[in-house]
Amino acid sequence: MTELKEKIRENLKTVIDPELNINVVDLGLIYEIGVPEPRTARILMTLTTPGCPLHDSIASGIKYSVQSMEEIDRADVQLTWEPAWTPDRITEEGKRLLQGF
Amino acid sequence: MIQLFQQSSGNETNIILPFSFIGFSMLALILSQLLILLNGDLIVSGVFRLPAIWSAAHLFVLGWALMVAMGAMYQLVPVAFLTPIWNEKFGFWQLAVTTAGIVSFAAALYLRPQDALLPGILTLLGILMFIFQMFMTLKSQAKPNVLTLFVGTALFSLLATITFGITLVLSMKTGFASSYYQAIFKTHILLGTVGWFSFLIFGFSYKMVPMFSLSHAYSMKPAPYVFSVYVVGIIFLISSFLTGSHLFEVLGTLMLFAGFMIFTWHVKMIIDKRVKKKLDRPFMFALFAIGCGAFIHFAAFAGSAVNFLSKMAGPIILLYLVAWIAFSIIGYLYKIVPFLWWTHKYSKEIGKKKVPALKDMMDEKLAIPLFIMFTAGTILLLLSFIVKLMPVFYISQGLIVIGSALFSYIIAKVVTI
Repeated sequence: MTELKEKIRENLKTVIDPELNINVVDLGLIYEIGVPEPRTARILMTLTTPGCPLHDSIASGIKYSVQSMEEIDRADVQLTWEPAWTPDRITEEGKRLLQGF
Repeated sequence: MIQLFQQSSGNETNIILPFSFIGFSMLALILSQLLILLNGDLIVSGVFRLPAIWSAAHLFVLGWALMVAMGAMYQLVPVAFLTPIWNEKFGFWQLAVTTAGIVSFAAALYLRPQDALLPGILTLLGILMFIFQMFMTLKSQAKPNVLTLFVGTALFSLLATITFGITLVLSMKTGFASSYYQAIFKTHILLGTVGWFSFLIFGFSYKMVPMFSLSHAYSMKPAPYVFSVYVVGIIFLISSFLTGSHLFEVLGTLMLFAGFMIFTWHVKMIIDKRVKKKLDRPFMFALFAIGCGAFIHFAAFAGSAVNFLSKMAGPIILLYLVAWIAFSIIGYLYKIVPFLWWTHKYSKEIGKKKVPALKDMMDEKLAIPLFIMFTAGTILLLLSFIVKLMPVFYISQGLIVIGSALFSYIIAKVVTI
């Protein structure tokens, strides 16, 4: 199960925030990845700010990305503002990408 | 992880609506700048109140800046306030009525100003439809915030501006309220520039500046002070128009300058808290516009303090429209237009295939020559008023016309990506 969650996390790295050009994992937007039942994924995510114009696009991108995996048929994506996103959530790789952009 | 939300808010507007507003606005921009170029001899000699100039000014302010603002608001209001547009179909009707109104109004002002009443009423109807649309949209917002106050006041100012504008046309045609003509005329200009555009730019800057700089943990406490001080400035200035009091004029320009400086300082505080260290050039141009705005507000106050404002009014208004309002809009459009097209073309592709970043959708190489052209053109334009030399005017306005055409080209090119 942990292996599948890790695979989902790796797959989510293909989804980028087009304003910052950094993937949602390294940006620290993914709070939780769960597999509550076989072939179903549950992603709990946030955005850098409430009212982000890319709200719908990023959430849909995450859904498409996970559902495109062989092991998953359905992905439920839920958005939360609590706890709010902070820059501390950006990974080292994300920070490196951010400085270069 | 206490509070969960639906994954989709359904806040995306049909792209054709904002793009139609922006497309029309770019044509109006080029035409308005050409009209100014062709009537340079009058402008340089300080004659602003002539049909051709009225037509160019309204094409610029209504046809370009207002239409851009409307198009951007159709996209930004749903995402900034987390509420969908009240009625999209009504938005298309509003687009048709406003476009017909502005085209016929600008033409009437140029050819037969005394017959501008009906086209003016058509324009009024289009703007009223827009205000109604925004009112209904903002009404459904769950929790109003300081942004609602700025945008709401901007919309109220827009309504007052057009009401005074129609009163002016009526007064010209029938003699109605003719003894207050000057006061109404000045209030019309003040509310149309300071009241409508500045409050709108302040409000959306509070949303866009943190977003484009990835700023966090900044305070919003100064925002209500920006609002209150600026409103008091407007009230003092309108009082000076009605009473002719020089003291009210000085106090009004002082408060507007103070309000603008609090805003400038507040934006600096937000930028200081940014995570993204390297800011985009177009966004920096929007920040440069704030610097220009601070200088213009100071110049108006200084001019008023030495009782010279009436002689400086023309160049000050022109600078206000170009270096503060237009530069802000141009800087932000560089971000808004790619976002609109990206959402339309790639929002269903993200997660399925590699998609471009917003930064890759608008030619940043052309941004620097464009911004230099607009800035140099504006400085030379100001110089042409002082030295009153036609070649200086033609070079400056020529640069602005070329800049406008180049900017339209850059925007049009986005849809090819």
